[in-house]
Amino acid sequence: MTLLLQVLVDGFVIGALYGLGAAGFTIIFGVSGVLNLAHGGVMVVAAMVAWMVAGGILHASLLTGVVCGVAAGMVTAYATYYLVVRPAQRSRRIPDEEREIFILTATLLLGIVIQEGIAYLFTSNPVTVPPLVSGVVHVFGVRTPTNELLIGVISWVVLGLLWLFVNRTRQGKAVLAASINPHGLAMLGFELPQIHRLVWGLYGLLGGVAGVLLATFEGASSGLVGGLTASAFIIVVLGGLGSVPGSLVAAYVIGFMETVTAYLISPAIRTLPGMVLLLLILYVRPQGLLGRR
Amino acid sequence: MSLLKVTGLGKRFGGLIAVRDLSFSLDPGEILGLIGPNGSGKSTTMGLVMGVIPPDTGSVRLGGTDMTGWAPHRVAKHGVSLMFQHSRPLRRHSVLENIELALLPDSLWNFVPHPRVARRAREIAERVGLEEFVERWPETLPYAHLRRLELAKAIARDPQVLLIDEPFAGLTMAEMREFSALISSLRDERRAVLLVDHNVKGVRALVDRVLAMHVGSKIAEGTPDQVMSDPTVRSVYLGGSLDGGPETADRGAVAGPPLLQVESLRVHYDRAQALDGVDLEVREGELVSVVGLNGAGKTTLFNAVSGFVAHEGFIRWRGESLDGATPGAVARAGIVQCPESRELFGDMTVAENLEMGGYHLSREDYARQHATVLALFPILAERQRQTARTLSGGEQQMLAIGRALMTRPRLLILDEPSMGLAPLVMEHISTAIEALRAEGVTVLLGEQNVSFALRHSDRVYLLEQGRIAWQGAPGAFAEATGERYL
Amino acid sequence: MKRERLMQWLRSPRLWVAALALVAMVLLPLWVSEYVLGVLTIAYYFGVFAMSWDLLFGYAGEVNFGPTFLIGIGAYVSGMLNIYTSVPMVLCIAAGAVAAVIAGVLLALPALRLRGAYFGLVTLVSVLILQTVIVLFASYTGGEIGFSVPSILSIDSGVNYYYALAFMVVSGMVLLAVARSPMGLILQATGQDPLGAQALGFNVTKHKLAAFCLSALFSGLAGALTIFYLGSVSVNTVVDLAVTVQIIIAAVLGGRRTIVGGALGAIFLIVAAEYLRPIGELSNLVVAAFALIVLLFIPDGFLGLFPRREARS
Repeated sequence: MTLLLQVLVDGFVIGALYGLGAAGFTIIFGVSGVLNLAHGGVMVVAAMVAWMVAGGILHASLLTGVVCGVAAGMVTAYATYYLVVRPAQRSRRIPDEEREIFILTATLLLGIVIQEGIAYLFTSNPVTVPPLVSGVVHVFGVRTPTNELLIGVISWVVLGLLWLFVNRTRQGKAVLAASINPHGLAMLGFELPQIHRLVWGLYGLLGGVAGVLLATFEGASSGLVGGLTASAFIIVVLGGLGSVPGSLVAAYVIGFMETVTAYLISPAIRTLPGMVLLLLILYVRPQGLLGRR
Repeated sequence: MSLLKVTGLGKRFGGLIAVRDLSFSLDPGEILGLIGPNGSGKSTTMGLVMGVIPPDTGSVRLGGTDMTGWAPHRVAKHGVSLMFQHSRPLRRHSVLENIELALLPDSLWNFVPHPRVARRAREIAERVGLEEFVERWPETLPYAHLRRLELAKAIARDPQVLLIDEPFAGLTMAEMREFSALISSLRDERRAVLLVDHNVKGVRALVDRVLAMHVGSKIAEGTPDQVMSDPTVRSVYLGGSLDGGPETADRGAVAGPPLLQVESLRVHYDRAQALDGVDLEVREGELVSVVGLNGAGKTTLFNAVSGFVAHEGFIRWRGESLDGATPGAVARAGIVQCPESRELFGDMTVAENLEMGGYHLSREDYARQHATVLALFPILAERQRQTARTLSGGEQQMLAIGRALMTRPRLLILDEPSMGLAPLVMEHISTAIEALRAEGVTVLLGEQNVSFALRHSDRVYLLEQGRIAWQGAPGAFAEATGERYL
Repeated sequence: MKRERLMQWLRSPRLWVAALALVAMVLLPLWVSEYVLGVLTIAYYFGVFAMSWDLLFGYAGEVNFGPTFLIGIGAYVSGMLNIYTSVPMVLCIAAGAVAAVIAGVLLALPALRLRGAYFGLVTLVSVLILQTVIVLFASYTGGEIGFSVPSILSIDSGVNYYYALAFMVVSGMVLLAVARSPMGLILQATGQDPLGAQALGFNVTKHKLAAFCLSALFSGLAGALTIFYLGSVSVNTVVDLAVTVQIIIAAVLGGRRTIVGGALGAIFLIVAAEYLRPIGELSNLVVAAFALIVLLFIPDGFLGLFPRREARS
């Protein structure tokens, strides 16, 4: 019974974190049709900068660290867009039919550049950002670090703010409209480059928050870049590319599966069931779990 | 016995019936024209015959063999070739190699090129008039020659039946004649040809029979003359009579200074010519329509004005050039398009769609404009909370027009607002257009439904093959062009 | 006509460059140290990885993010046969190659129905699954660290060098012959315009699957040979995603849709890594950044700088 509750609590937190990371990934796909395989890089850069400022090197306050970390996530996102994605989208030397795989390959390489850069600057050892709060609370009789719960709550607050932004603000609605039909938006007097700027910033923000939270919870290292990208990729494909609610559901499916596997079998193979599920689902339903296409 | 026999073919995509109970047959040496406006189901029909789209009902038989449900490569091997409208040859291979490709057997053990293949490829190149170009790369060929290359590939399969998709799109008159002769020569080889095009006009001289489709169903079949005089076909293409109707009063007096001036506008897609020297003017307060069949270049013209496609020539807006303006800037300057494809935000509500339209207005202007739009289309007020994709076709069209009006345009471009609408809904749109006209909104209307356009216009341009073929008052249209329009 | 083609072929500068390069590679052991030979031996096996990958990417138009799935299967199956049975080494290597083909078919048969990014994701996941399975059965596979194989190709570095060189040259010639043959033409058609290829009567899945099998065969063979050269097998050398990325970098640097470019890129990459050794960990970064720049600014790679023939106009 305790084990079940433990799984529920941990799964709640992990699912929320994954959802946060994947939400940005899927919005980017919706608006600009790009699958950013440097995604893990955005998260890990944010985590590393937060650690550098608040923990390991500068010893500034935790809040400063978190803010700097999130800002670093946004900078990384913009760098991805302006230095890699846009040149690849506009290059005349790349044939149109191959553009998609070029962008995939280019962002994959950027991910490696980021990973190796971090490994060079900070070694590949994992670092942990100090927990946002200390102490332990009992949830349904399960001893849980307060920080872990707080992470789950913050993730959901950020997702809630995202929802409010997209559904309640003018700019947010423009982003939503762009993800549905960019052409239609341009006809109404919108400048798509501005929308892209906004969306990539939003993406960096979400990825940055997810990265910093992850670092206070499980720590972060350069080696995580590939794995985080893969898990976000898996989640958004399961949820149907471009669908934020679908990604959240898929994030929880994956989060709980990983937690159950880690507790019942071994933490070493926690990602295995999710990957097998992905293969099965793609073979049966190529448009993903909740996708319309 | 007929060669290709299609019986009771049907296909549904979700709620949309693309093709309904379609039957036709094709004899060896016969050329059948399959015509219909956009969305009539002719492309789906081609896909169904080729096996690209699996049919829901009906069968496709070739020489007695039932091919229903076969994969495209099996259909192709059985003797059906498809010539695509858009050619996508291998870019890093010569014209000859591209033809050789079509001659290869579907076998994995193709390691040594057979000398017969190269010889045959040269013969085919000669047959379609490409013998001078066999060593060139496809991207260096003129557009008309690319079409020939596609035809060469289709012929290379030695097919019994050829499906040809819009063979003349983007060709000049002279090129059309030459290409027609090539297609016509297939008849002598006892091959059957299914020619898909928007209208009878382009294929008239070439075909033996014509089958006309509209919203998925066959509406007429017979000789070109029979089909062109068929009342159903005429009402689909013309919308009704060509008299301007009682509302065609002379409103020349209301016209103000010129707003939009287009001069010698040319547009190319790849190398295909879409517009060839178009001149057009819209004055303030006027309702000007551009009529023409699908494929004549109306949408291209509007997209050039809206800044979506590159062009040569001049487009002036209130005397100033629009060169280099982004689509967003053109729209903010006051030229707003309500496109044929509507481009609604399907997952957003009606209210949100309108909100996006009025995004750049001040609060007061927004409220005023919003009230105007809802007064024009009261149904939108009732549907405020519904998402756009759940609306009926007519409601979607009203929303698209309403959303464009929310920008408070100085020139509203309406592209095919009557397309695919039931007569009653069309009346609604008609009323709305008249209301806009009464308020002095300047409108540029694109229509293939001539009767609809004539009813509302102050002036009319007839666009044919990317050129302005006639312009004048709506009352003079029938006399000047009437019978040769279709 | 035929004679003319032969003469034209003989006059092609590319042929002479290739021949000279081959002679230089054959004579190389006369001058350089055993250490350099060792580096080149690895580079040659790596070249086969990259050339096999290019057949899929450049010709069949499929972005395979999991070449190390095929390589890893080949390596581990042959290695485990060698350590747990008394099957001769040559048969172990053959078994590894066959296993790679079978695993490749099982993966590709359903995956080839998927397009672009989805195919990439499935192949990416296949590598991660293989890696997890190896770790899960650590008692048999040695986990992350791997194990030593009892047999070895040769202890003489010169002999090893010639094995690798011969293997690369033969693989390259076979792959190049296929790519330039009518089959390669069909493959490119299926890659660039699947619908158009089907309308010409080609069974797209069949041809792509054949390409995948061929790629798997050479990947598996190269994987098996690599471990019998190194004398050990581990996740880091034949399975890890980092190896995948290196393969992609090599093929892209050399020039996609050229086959030979893969080998060129691999040799460049491995040799560059040696030169960059003094800057330590930074070398990976430099290589990846360099590849990224090449990808964005000269997407046709090194060989793309010398077009196969001039565009005739």
